[in-house]
Amino acid sequence: MHGAILLMTTAVTALLLQTTLLPLTALGRATPDLLLIICVYLGLHHHSVRGAFGAFVLGYLQDMFSGSVVGLNTFAMCLVFTLVYLTSRSLWVDNVLSKIVLVFLASVLKTTAVLVLIAAFMSSAHLWQSVANYLVLEALLAAAVSPAMFAVLAHTQQLAVAEEG
Amino acid sequence: MLEFLRRNRVILASGSLLLISLLLLSTGARGRQRTDPLTGVVLDGMKPLQRATVASIQAVTGLWRSYVDLVGVKQENAKLRRRIVELEQQAVRLSEVEQTDKRLEELLQMRSMLEGDLLVANIVGRDPMPWFSTLVIDKGEGDGVHRNAAVLSPFGVVGQVMTTGAHAARVLLLTDHNSGIDAVVQRSRARGIVEGGLDGHCVMKYLKRGEDVEVGDRIVTSGLDGIFPKGIMVGEVTRVTRGNRGLLQLADIKPSVPLDRIEEVLVTRGSVQLKELPQVTPTPGQGPGAGR
Repeated sequence: MHGAILLMTTAVTALLLQTTLLPLTALGRATPDLLLIICVYLGLHHHSVRGAFGAFVLGYLQDMFSGSVVGLNTFAMCLVFTLVYLTSRSLWVDNVLSKIVLVFLASVLKTTAVLVLIAAFMSSAHLWQSVANYLVLEALLAAAVSPAMFAVLAHTQQLAVAEEG
Repeated sequence: MLEFLRRNRVILASGSLLLISLLLLSTGARGRQRTDPLTGVVLDGMKPLQRATVASIQAVTGLWRSYVDLVGVKQENAKLRRRIVELEQQAVRLSEVEQTDKRLEELLQMRSMLEGDLLVANIVGRDPMPWFSTLVIDKGEGDGVHRNAAVLSPFGVVGQVMTTGAHAARVLLLTDHNSGIDAVVQRSRARGIVEGGLDGHCVMKYLKRGEDVEVGDRIVTSGLDGIFPKGIMVGEVTRVTRGNRGLLQLADIKPSVPLDRIEEVLVTRGSVQLKELPQVTPTPGQGPGAGR
């Protein structure tokens, strides 16, 4: 329980940063998706229903604070969690480099999923192009920031384990 | 069945959540659900946190910007001050160039009115003693300047060369008591000798008592001394003195050339004649009457 609260706090902090500080330091309009990194962390280290639900909440939070339709980022996050979960069950993804690559691929997957959903459910052609323009840059930014985020998340989990222990 | 569900609960949960997301998306995309009550609650809950974060960021960026601006302002200030100094120096130089240009133009105009060989020289020194009136020019024997050559300016007679060096010469001004110039009253043609007097003035001597000379009359060179060309302005009569007895009268002359302010002169090399009388009007602060 303690771990869940700490994780939630980290997620809220990440959301705060994404809605206040990161837009000021954006490269063009690209910013690193901190909530996606948390989602990938859940897929790697929380192989449980709570992990899946956590990914759902992360996506829902993103939908609430962006101009997108509710469900867009929610679906994408759940998809990322599922695929990362399945990958981590089959492949050994435990060193820093593999996690960075995984985050990069997860970001590409998430953006692609969002593009497909926009094409399927909405008729916003200009939005499609706008999202596609920043696909690689956002993935690179997320991959660059992921080691620091993973370190923070690992530390919070250690704290939770230490307190429960 | 239960075992299957237990072993694959994560995948089943993920799949369910994916379906729920799709349902939310399709509902939202159709326009029936733009905002849900939960969104409003979360937004309200996050508002104070976001506000505090933004305020902190603005405080930090404001401080940084003030510091950077101050540093920038200081540097810009120093740069602008240097630029002002440069521009002021440039303005002074330009003004100097303008003044020199004007003087040289007048000299050129004067030169064009004279027939003969003339040389432009700069004044590089003045007499250090108060009771002599001489100056030094930067041309000498090597440049063709000879002893007794006439020295002129656009405003009239300056003096004559008294000693020469290879590339410098000393000029005896018409206001020196050793100077003597054969001159006539322009109006009445009364003839006399203009000699140097006191306090920068001259005196016209050997004027016959009956000659018509009045205050305000212009005095010009007669050309009879073989040094100065005929018709060059010497000065203006400021006073006429006639004694109770005697055959002569005296006229005080104010020189037309502002001797303490000229910087360039024309020196004659050989015989020089005037084509026509010089029509130069002294500029304010430089001509006769200036400094009174």
